[in-house]
Amino acid sequence: MSTATATRSVLAQTRREQGRLGVLLVAPALALFGVFFLFPLASAVFFALTSWNGSTPTAPFVGLANVREMLGDPAVWHALGNNLQWVLVGTAAPLLIGLLLAVLIWSGVRGVLAYRLIFFLPFLMPPIAIGIVWGWIYDPVNGWANRLLEAVGLGELARGWLGETGTALWAVLLAAVWSYTGFVVVIFLAALQNVDLELVDAARIDGANAVQRLWHVILPQIVPTFITVTTVTLVGGFSVFDIVFIMTGGGPGNATAVLGTYAYENAFNFSRVGYGTALALLITVLSLPFVVALNRVQRRLALRGMGGGAP
Amino acid sequence: MTATATVERRSPVNDRVPDRRSSRHVSGSQIAKYGVLLVAAFMALFPVLLIASTALRDPAEVRVDPFALFTSFTLESLQRAWTVGGFSAYFLNSVLLAVPSTVLTVVLSTGAGYAFARCRFRGRNLLFYVTTLGLLVPFFALMIPLYFQLLQMGLLDTLVGAVLVLTASGAGGLSFGIFLMRSFFIDLPVELEQAARVDGCSEWMIFRRVMLPLVRSGAAALSVFTFLQNWNNFLVPLLYLPGGEYRALPSALYLFASGRTMEVGAVAAGVFITILPVIAVFVVAQRQLIRGFMSGAVKG
Repeated sequence: MSTATATRSVLAQTRREQGRLGVLLVAPALALFGVFFLFPLASAVFFALTSWNGSTPTAPFVGLANVREMLGDPAVWHALGNNLQWVLVGTAAPLLIGLLLAVLIWSGVRGVLAYRLIFFLPFLMPPIAIGIVWGWIYDPVNGWANRLLEAVGLGELARGWLGETGTALWAVLLAAVWSYTGFVVVIFLAALQNVDLELVDAARIDGANAVQRLWHVILPQIVPTFITVTTVTLVGGFSVFDIVFIMTGGGPGNATAVLGTYAYENAFNFSRVGYGTALALLITVLSLPFVVALNRVQRRLALRGMGGGAP
Repeated sequence: MTATATVERRSPVNDRVPDRRSSRHVSGSQIAKYGVLLVAAFMALFPVLLIASTALRDPAEVRVDPFALFTSFTLESLQRAWTVGGFSAYFLNSVLLAVPSTVLTVVLSTGAGYAFARCRFRGRNLLFYVTTLGLLVPFFALMIPLYFQLLQMGLLDTLVGAVLVLTASGAGGLSFGIFLMRSFFIDLPVELEQAARVDGCSEWMIFRRVMLPLVRSGAAALSVFTFLQNWNNFLVPLLYLPGGEYRALPSALYLFASGRTMEVGAVAAGVFITILPVIAVFVVAQRQLIRGFMSGAVKG
């Protein structure tokens, strides 16, 4: 009896010490996070309810006027359309290309390490470098895009890719896909390592061909990774900014404007801090449901014992 | 667990096991496979080669035909950018931004990650979920209020301000760091902790001497990732260091490339200087970087 009490009191003391250490270790990180993330985020919500111009000492409170203005602002709908294209193509293309390349590498080739290195490199490039070098590739006079078209006899298609309203968004998107695909390749390669090879072998013995094995045996085993990658890309698609800002600044006209560049323009060029912040929050609000939905799917899959698993 | 170990195993998709006969007789699907991979690899590398080529060519030639590949070799453009172009100063500023913010992020994330994984205290789960908010909310949402906040705190246009912002809310900041480090600590067996406790270790010693050494490779992966994110970060130096005294490489390049003369050779040299450390870090630490990425993303 007395040993039991003693053990309990030792346990309680351990708990207490553990708790104290935990709080101590968390405190500095949370303090920084509070000041430079949570506080500005709360300010953002407040700013979004004002018509502040950034220079007056007080911000005039306008309630939901910014939201009403957004709904009636054709530029917002135009930008939203561009975001939607960006999200759809910018998610689907790297996923499909990345999956294809990962499976090809995984299926046994020489020089796996070299491929992994080469494909991952574009993902690590700074956006400013991506923007500048793809700007050169799209150069109307000397760019390699047009040279390539001329070389294969499609010279009449040559144009100033970033300067024309019809092609600018796609041109920027291609640069982003170029950078992002390598990330998908590396992540899928990692996930493929966990695929149960015995199942694949069994399917082969049962007469399933390569495509059937990929679709029915291999893909189901990497679904959690598929969802993680999709989530990351989707959120990135809504909040896209750097690469568009660098390559076209939203132009020509507003052909490539996305919510991000439109929000920036309002806040920093037109001194409409309130409206710009409201737009920036709209981006967040739009992407959240996707994250939650995908997270829920992933959790359900994890419960069904398909590996992966939510934190 | 490494990629090579698995991939060098028997080919799981192809029917044919590579043996002496199949290596002599190359099938059509093999050709197609290598064809696709080689074309993709070329496309992945081409823009990087274009940067290197343009930066290393004779500037006079670049003026005539800007994008020809590797027709000459000289360090002239690089030297001019480094000295006359002021890129040595931008480089230093980038180091002063990326290194302290990386150290701060990794140290704080390791501590907090351990606490969230293994210490029980009130509000632990709630606080952890709050920190993961940073993974959901794009930096964009706070970028505007943060500008005015730094202005009021007297931190606008200071290295300290930019470093703290990179640490707290950048893409490679605390949210990701804590999330990743917590996932490393959570995998460690409880028995280790208990054994150390029986041996009379204090809670701090358990963290410092027993658990910390076990996540060293994870922390290294986080360091590499965080450094690259902060080195590449475009918006933070552009917005919060507007004065020009602490201009970092990305913002300098942006102003340079969108400025008056489009001197391709000079811009290329600047881009090359910016990506050299990225390539160097990547080549040296790619194994750790990729492993860190995999454990973060594959586990979800």
